[in-house]
Amino acid sequence: MQSNSSMRTPLARVRGLGSAKSGTGHFWLQRVTAVANVVLTVIFLGVVISLFGKPYPAAMATLSHPLVAILMLLFVVSGAVHMRIGMQVVIEDYIHGEGLKIAAVMANTFFAIAIGAACVFAVLKLSFGG
Amino acid sequence: MAEFNLPQNSRLTEGKAWPKPAGAAKLTEFKVYRWNPDTGENPRTDTYFVDREDCGPMVLDALIWIKSKIDPTLTFRRSCREGICGSCAMNMDGKNGLACTTGIDECSGHGKSAGKVAIYPLPHMPVIKDLVPDLTRFYAQHASIEPWLKTTTPAPEKEWKQAKDDREKLDGLYECILCACCSTSCPSYWWNGDRYLGPAALLQAYRWLIDSRDESTGERLDNLEDPFRLYRCHTIMNCANACPKGLNPAKAIAEVKKMMVARQV
Amino acid sequence: MAITKARSTATYAGQAYPITDHTFDVVVVGAGGAGLRATVGCSQAGLRTACISKVFPTRSHTVAAQGGVAASLGNMGKDTWQWHMYDTVKGSDWLGDQDAIEYLVRNAPAAVYELEHWGVPFSRTESGKIYQRPFGGMTTEFGEGPPAQRTCAAADRTGHAMLHTLYGQALRYNTEFFIEYFAIDLIMDEDGHCRGVIALKLDDGTIHRFRSQQTILATGGYGRAYFSATSAHTCTGDGGGMVLRAGLPLQDMEFVQFHPTGIYGAGCLITEGARGEGGYLTNSEGERFMERYAPSAKDLASRDVVSRSMTMEIRGGRGVGKNKDHIYLHLDHLDPKILHERLPGISESAKIFAGVDVTREPIPVLPTVHYNMGGIPTNFHGEVLTKVDGNPDTVVPGLMAIGEAACVSVHGANRLGSNSLIDLVVFGRAAGLRCAETVTAGEKQPELPKNSADLALIRLDKYRNASGGTSTAELRGRMQKTMQDNCAVYRTGETLEEGHKLIHEVWGGITDIATTDRSLIWNSDLVETLEFDNLITQAVVTMDSALNRPESRGAHAREDYPNRDDKDWMKHTLSWIDDEKRSVTLDERPVHTYTLSNDIEYIKPKARVY
Repeated sequence: MQSNSSMRTPLARVRGLGSAKSGTGHFWLQRVTAVANVVLTVIFLGVVISLFGKPYPAAMATLSHPLVAILMLLFVVSGAVHMRIGMQVVIEDYIHGEGLKIAAVMANTFFAIAIGAACVFAVLKLSFGG
Repeated sequence: MAEFNLPQNSRLTEGKAWPKPAGAAKLTEFKVYRWNPDTGENPRTDTYFVDREDCGPMVLDALIWIKSKIDPTLTFRRSCREGICGSCAMNMDGKNGLACTTGIDECSGHGKSAGKVAIYPLPHMPVIKDLVPDLTRFYAQHASIEPWLKTTTPAPEKEWKQAKDDREKLDGLYECILCACCSTSCPSYWWNGDRYLGPAALLQAYRWLIDSRDESTGERLDNLEDPFRLYRCHTIMNCANACPKGLNPAKAIAEVKKMMVARQV
Repeated sequence: MAITKARSTATYAGQAYPITDHTFDVVVVGAGGAGLRATVGCSQAGLRTACISKVFPTRSHTVAAQGGVAASLGNMGKDTWQWHMYDTVKGSDWLGDQDAIEYLVRNAPAAVYELEHWGVPFSRTESGKIYQRPFGGMTTEFGEGPPAQRTCAAADRTGHAMLHTLYGQALRYNTEFFIEYFAIDLIMDEDGHCRGVIALKLDDGTIHRFRSQQTILATGGYGRAYFSATSAHTCTGDGGGMVLRAGLPLQDMEFVQFHPTGIYGAGCLITEGARGEGGYLTNSEGERFMERYAPSAKDLASRDVVSRSMTMEIRGGRGVGKNKDHIYLHLDHLDPKILHERLPGISESAKIFAGVDVTREPIPVLPTVHYNMGGIPTNFHGEVLTKVDGNPDTVVPGLMAIGEAACVSVHGANRLGSNSLIDLVVFGRAAGLRCAETVTAGEKQPELPKNSADLALIRLDKYRNASGGTSTAELRGRMQKTMQDNCAVYRTGETLEEGHKLIHEVWGGITDIATTDRSLIWNSDLVETLEFDNLITQAVVTMDSALNRPESRGAHAREDYPNRDDKDWMKHTLSWIDDEKRSVTLDERPVHTYTLSNDIEYIKPKARVY
């Protein structure tokens, strides 16, 4: 109809580049990390509360326990992955310029990896008595 | 970035206030969106007063009354006037619905416009004139899900058999009238309507996915599996709220997502 | 395949109208059940087919059909096409052409299976077959046995399910749709050959000239000639109007069906399936009065019989409500589960339009205009007929008609419920098959006559700039009131004489019509005026045909002539108009008193008792 100035047919425009045949992995991972985060966040909060007001060596001692260290590593990794996926969806929703969108999605990924790596490093450092 | 400014020439202006009909005991004020592409002017809202004693109870009755008695230039689609053809979908009192099944008294107005009935075209669609939106893309999205039965097995001489409970799975899906109330109420469709198929097309997609006679489920899922086509649904639920037939597209979309996961996990 | 798309401009009264030309093998006007079925058939046959519609296909009024589609599948018990044929002939009050009726009922089962294979979500029996319900006038054993369960249903949304499925099929066959194009007039050449159609594209006001080897009119009925109709606002009989202006006749226009159960006030339809599932009518005394009028079929008598009975009750002072002017339809005794499964749509309609909870209260109903048995005369291939030099079966080359717009005539003087949906698909299919036989794909078509757009554009320009003293709505209101008052369920010579005078006055009033919208973009004021022009001519021939028939047959009930007169009046009425002089010419056409094959004998007239 008149308001579509493009000469492509409406169906061609709707089909666009075709189905990406992906997205379910993304969707499923978001659910999986969400469930993981519920459990891991509770544990993380438990650790934080138990260390509340205690000195640095006490924190180091707790985190040097392999079980605690592994759970904390899982928490930061799962959290970073969940954050990255969630933020990507927000970016795709709101940002429509292709260039800006790709830049934002990349920046989001870098940011999530950087945060995740920093957290992992911090946990490992503490855990190995650093 | 998301657009926060209105496109040029889309700022609404105050339109004409048409005179009240003489001798009417009970009047209701209607504020109706008007836009005529011929004039080159910005859209406006005209004010009409409807004589309720001379007019039926539905918003469509009032629009027809206005067109017949006051202003024949008022333009809107209508056909069956019983809620089955889907022509008269519009935004009334801030909510999408069919003018023929929405009572005038259901539109009470809010705040400053309390007691007035505000009528706009379906949101976020190009307008052709007044209350007539351009639904070309919406129809193409429906066509893109290939809404017909696909079978490979040679058809039987008589009907394909279908169990009663399999047929029941189509209830709440096949009744869709393609009025576009749901899709045009969905913020995700507003933002990404060019790539997201929207609740109406996805509800139809599920109607064929779940039809026990169809032999093309896998291909249909392949066609939908896309971060934009399907996964832009964020379960905002406006679609279920807006549907004048009481259907729940959000639930259908959730079922499609479940099917996607089921074939991978 | 060659398609010419040239642009030219025609000027009328100083106003330029750009014309876009198209060439197709077949052009179908209308995208309801019949139009879509024909379109799919022609596309399947490899013909280049256009389908023009003034509304998006799924908005066509087929969508509102509720109860079902009749075919003798025998899923619920023994059934045969011969029984279906007997019922249809009896329903038609022996005005139906029995060759066409045989074609209809014999092809019905295949047509329903085809729909099912295309995806129509029919309701099911326990064994997974298509569910069939009882419907008015449908019996077994040639009327001697119990009611037949012959009407295939998708809950009470059968028309919706069919129309959406047919639209899907049209998409599958890559049909070229011209949506929101309003067909204005046919292109007829000097030899009386139809060469195409002129249409107005609503969203930009351009004129489109379609040249085709066959033009198929599937434009539906003209229910909106009446004040209260179950028909949609868009049921304005545009094909009938075009045919009359092309100098061709319409047939049996006096036969207008009143559906017994339109919702009181709103006029919305409550399906006959409601009575098929066990609903019944009562008067103010709570009496199931249909037992008196139709002792055997009771509430499932034919529609004309039920509508007359209801009218008699109301006239006898036994109507219900404050003004004792309507009747109650009871469903409250039925199991709510059954209502939910089989009648969900009307439960919703009753709630919205009558404020009634059907599980607790009766629905207020009134006989309401529903269907036009009359229309464009055709043979059972769908080819339009006219009477030339005494030959009543002269085919008009290049023109076909199907669906409610046509008069095949399978419904005769009264259509049975659920015979309409089967009519759409059987004759839609027949038209496609006929085109496959008679049309050569891509054949070069002769140039159109020079004045091909004149009739359409002169009218368009006239109404677009009309500045008389009467608005379209006012004139339309007068027409609707006249038809409602003077040409209703019961008619007398007196009311028809008066109606004849009044309706001709309304017709004459068109010279004083006024339109307000001068734009060409989505000018609905102009379209409503063109629609009114189509309606009024059909209203006039309806009234005049009714006045001309001194007998009672089917839906045409004359109080001054209460009996059927097979000796003098078992014949079709043909009606022509002269749009310039505003006059009507009537003639007649014999009823086909033969069948299509030797498998069944001609069913002889007898008294019609239910």
